Amino acid sequence: MSNYFYTDYSAMTTNDWIGLSVTVIIFILMAIAYFKVFRPKNRDKLEKHKFIIMDD
Amino acid sequence: MEAVAEQKYNFDVVRWFTVMAVVYVVVGTLVGVYIASELAWPVLNLDSPYLSFGRLRPLHTNAVIFAFGGCVLMATAFYSVQRTCGVKLWSSKMAWFTFIGWNVVIVAAVITLPLGINQSKEYAELEWPIDIAIAVVWLSYLFNFVMTIIHRKTSHIYVSNWFFLGMMVMITYLHVVNSLAIPVGLFKSYSIFSGVHDAMIQWWWGHNAVGFYLTAGFLGIMYYFVPKQVNRPVFSYRLSVIHFWALMFGYVWLGAHHLQYTALPDWTGSLGAAVSIAMIIPSWGGAVNGLMTLSGAWDRLRTDYVLRFFVISLAFYAMSTFEGPIMSIKTVNALSHYTDWTIGHVHSGALGWVAMVGMGAIYHMMTRLFHVKMYSEKLINIHFWMATIGTVIYVVAMWVSGLMQGLMWRTYDEYGALAYTFAESVEAMHPYYAMRAVGGLLFFLGAVIMLYNVILTVLMAKKAGSIQLAKTVDVKL
Repeated sequence: MSNYFYTDYSAMTTNDWIGLSVTVIIFILMAIAYFKVFRPKNRDKLEKHKFIIMDD
Repeated sequence: MEAVAEQKYNFDVVRWFTVMAVVYVVVGTLVGVYIASELAWPVLNLDSPYLSFGRLRPLHTNAVIFAFGGCVLMATAFYSVQRTCGVKLWSSKMAWFTFIGWNVVIVAAVITLPLGINQSKEYAELEWPIDIAIAVVWLSYLFNFVMTIIHRKTSHIYVSNWFFLGMMVMITYLHVVNSLAIPVGLFKSYSIFSGVHDAMIQWWWGHNAVGFYLTAGFLGIMYYFVPKQVNRPVFSYRLSVIHFWALMFGYVWLGAHHLQYTALPDWTGSLGAAVSIAMIIPSWGGAVNGLMTLSGAWDRLRTDYVLRFFVISLAFYAMSTFEGPIMSIKTVNALSHYTDWTIGHVHSGALGWVAMVGMGAIYHMMTRLFHVKMYSEKLINIHFWMATIGTVIYVVAMWVSGLMQGLMWRTYDEYGALAYTFAESVEAMHPYYAMRAVGGLLFFLGAVIMLYNVILTVLMAKKAGSIQLAKTVDVKL
């Protein structure tokens, strides 16, 4: 298993690092989005917006 | 009559986009039926280069995606952004520039593609001067939309506008990068990318044209028009928020799954397939969200023919967003790639999802834009059934044909030689190609009925002077 996950970080190019950073940042942002959106405390605050189109 | 809305907002350009969308769906599907028939009966190309499949196929795709799809997206975005923001369009003149510019681009495509003037990039065939015109017109659409949102009277930006905006921003970026080319003449250019990079950029654009233009944009339509047609709010606003962000961050990864078993590094295809599978979750979340909006109102399907378009479109959206990820898995892709299964998949999304939700939105807007009832409710129902049955026939024909093709191409005899020649596989496809032409013809005839219904509705409105009346009647704004 350790062989499978082995990464030669010294061989990574600038593009590799940019890609890895963007991926990790997006993963964290998505995790935050899921947490915030589905937190019961935020339910009413978000759900009230769905009525905007009923009064246009 | 929605006189308040007529006086509060600017619907003039929306009316034109709406009617032109219906004209273009008839033209686009007519060309589609013709080239489908050419594949079944090649004699139909009449030995003319201008009518050959290679030249008419991009005309078909450009007409249905950019002419029909573009006009639907522009009509619905300009219609719903005003109503959800409580303000008129930021600039009426700029909206007219967008309308005229977009139609000039479409005319340029109709002239150049049959002449064989083509960049050879799928879904981006138009030559560089037209590409520049597309970028300018698209930016005017984006700018007007953003400025309308900036001047809104509501505190929150409704989720349908997020989807429209996401599409506009991403398509700008995708179109400009994919179209980068070195011109060698007015009608000839070469891509600045080459080899495997060109392939990767092409499918980064190609799949995201599907992901953002034909999915995110049309989801913007779904999140506004389905609740409005049902007359109840979307089932879960929270789910729509997750749907949006997951779609925006997820879709851009998928392009590589079009290039399995090619010179592209193996891991990129695997990554594309892995994220494709992950995308089933937000896509199905969105489809369920749309369908659950009908909770407590399912009985309306018996009488509301427009609602039927929306429900069927969501069913096809769910189906094609499940099928696509499955096809991206390498073992499945080994069978499905280069076969008609792909064509079937594309059309279950294009006819079943994109066209159906677009047509539903057009019918919804027609009565509110022209302030009269539709000329015939019965014709809407007939159109619905023709479109649905036509789509099913088309898709089933291509599924069977594609699976047969894939299996014939990989069958070996006892000596390790291919069991079938390519020509034999082509011959075996004939009944399915004929069946596909019949399905397409049904869909096209349904679109003709829609155009007839729309034209007579417009004439009714003109005769009654309903638009002028809605604009001048005394209302409290």
